[in-house]
Amino acid sequence: MKIKQILSPAVVSTSLKSSTKEEIIRELLDLLVSAGYVSDKDEVFAALMERERKMSTGIQHGVAIPHAKTKAVKNLVACIGLKPEGVDFNSLDGQPSRIFIMTLSPIDRVGPHVQFLAEVSMVIKTEEARAKILQAKTAQEVLAVFGA
Amino acid sequence: MAHEMMLLALQLGVILVATKLNGWFFSRKLKQPRVLGELVAGMLIGPYVLGAIPLGSLGPLFPPVGGTIPVSPELYGIATVGSILLLFTSGLETDLPTFLRFSGKASVVGFGGVIASFFLGAGITVLLHPEVGSIMAPEALFLGTICTATSIGITARILGEIRRISSPEGVTILAAAVLDDVISIILLSVVVGISAVSMGGQAIAWGSIGMVALKAVGFWAICMIVGIIAAPHVTKRLKGLESLGVMAEISFGIALLLAGLSEMAGLAMIIGAYITGLSFSQTDVSMEITERVKAVGEYFIPVFFAVMGMMVDFQAVGSVLGFGILFSLIAFVGKLVGCGLPSLFVGFNLRGALRIGAGMLPRGEVTLIVAGIGLASGAIGPDMFGVAVMTMLLASVAAPPLLVQTFKGGSGYREQLVESDGASMVTIELEFPSERTADFVRRSLSDAFRSEGFFIRAIEGSVRSWQIRKEDMIFVMRRRTAHLELAAKHEHEAFARLMMLETLVDFQEFVDSIKSMEQPEMMGAGLLMNMFATQQAKED
Repeated sequence: MKIKQILSPAVVSTSLKSSTKEEIIRELLDLLVSAGYVSDKDEVFAALMERERKMSTGIQHGVAIPHAKTKAVKNLVACIGLKPEGVDFNSLDGQPSRIFIMTLSPIDRVGPHVQFLAEVSMVIKTEEARAKILQAKTAQEVLAVFGA
Repeated sequence: MAHEMMLLALQLGVILVATKLNGWFFSRKLKQPRVLGELVAGMLIGPYVLGAIPLGSLGPLFPPVGGTIPVSPELYGIATVGSILLLFTSGLETDLPTFLRFSGKASVVGFGGVIASFFLGAGITVLLHPEVGSIMAPEALFLGTICTATSIGITARILGEIRRISSPEGVTILAAAVLDDVISIILLSVVVGISAVSMGGQAIAWGSIGMVALKAVGFWAICMIVGIIAAPHVTKRLKGLESLGVMAEISFGIALLLAGLSEMAGLAMIIGAYITGLSFSQTDVSMEITERVKAVGEYFIPVFFAVMGMMVDFQAVGSVLGFGILFSLIAFVGKLVGCGLPSLFVGFNLRGALRIGAGMLPRGEVTLIVAGIGLASGAIGPDMFGVAVMTMLLASVAAPPLLVQTFKGGSGYREQLVESDGASMVTIELEFPSERTADFVRRSLSDAFRSEGFFIRAIEGSVRSWQIRKEDMIFVMRRRTAHLELAAKHEHEAFARLMMLETLVDFQEFVDSIKSMEQPEMMGAGLLMNMFATQQAKED
């Protein structure tokens, strides 16, 4: 799966304004709604929060990967948001989250959804890549790190 | 027409019942390959034995048919489909990387077998039949060619049954047998050319003979290369149909097309079928295709073996029994020495050489094709055709038990085969409170992989293992009692971890929902109460 087929500058925000987990998820979701990828915002928000309730998607080193399966999208969609100051996301290592990669995938469709999540996560595996993303001023600079 | 079709239905019914029962008898009671039972069943029920007995107004079930093939064209057609299915699955089950790795060795073995068999076969004919004159006489040429072809079908079936198709010997035998058939057909075209010339008293047209040979080799090489490159793209497109059944059926359609094309190019149909199978063997859906095609093969392949058995005309064999036995022995020696000896020089030990020699013994469809053409062209008479059939029969009957025997014991390959680089794999492990829990999570994980577009197949062995595959991504999942593990290449570790994590999250939700369920004992009591209530109502 090509990251550049999924990500575009329209779904990248280099300065998220929110300061709580719920608000961050809403703000990220707004990116996808504005891009016209999501048909039912409330349903998707509920699905994302339900996933967070089961287990936080805040992984390590300031990275969070909120994701859900929903009927409100036709294909896999994703967006990226940055909050250099960090937000408490109940992450596994207790560190505030700074880089957010949100993915939504259709429920009843076979496809490389988790695989996409894994591929994106692999790009920001190194400290160097994460620092480069957080220093980015424009969406293009962020996407350049992902090779998109 | 209606009568022919009715007869065909009856023939097929009798063939299936006879081959299945005799195959079962041979494999379970005599501990011999099933194929032998099917072959013998064909001999017994065929037009030269029981099949000739008239059954009232119906007449004989297998009435003798004129020409080289003693069964009806309809039945022979079904048998041909069986041989295509057989070779298609043989190709699918071949481990292509090992096949390519051993193709050099297979060439040495194949050529060794062909050269030794041809000269021994032609030589003994000249020696024992003074009227034949020289090795260039049509009769000698045909009998030499008859010796050269190997039946991949019989060997493939046995290797499949004893699970040795992908062993170094197995792959070498199959690759060499395919080469043998290609060489035999080329040789046949050359022999036919020379025979026509010597019988007609004209000058030999070496140019046209060379063209036929070139066309055959070219077809083989082009199909192999195109097939291997195109198959992954074809399956990728077919996956869009979202039906594994349709994908398997279309791939068999391609096998039939290539079989027809290979016949057009002057090669045997089975070669096209084998190449198609070989091409699909490297795709991530090969197991799914194999499983489905094999199920169909169970109905058609026995017909092929039965028809092979039916070709044996005991009377024709009777008149040349002495020469036939000697010729068969020579054909045996030709392959054992011709294939076994060179294999000693390409990495195999004595045990491996014997296995390869034995594996190359069976003669089959190509032998019959060669003999049939020889008979039709007048180059050989019915007696020598009988010898060819006898050779095919003796080799096919003697080879399976011999092959099974030789494959007992250790490796026949001198070098240690390097397994896939296990060092670059990481294993992620999970421990569960019970075996049932571990198996439940294992099933959920399989479903999760399927929804990501992966294909899963069980691997046979003492530990329950599954191969999870999509294109070049391969994972191995194992479950030992309550322990579940997933092995992945380093570059796919993050994906494996995320998949396991998502499965566990779902599992947690499942556990929570169970906790909120009504007391199971109350549910059980409700069921029993209802049962007795029904009983009561009935009594009323």
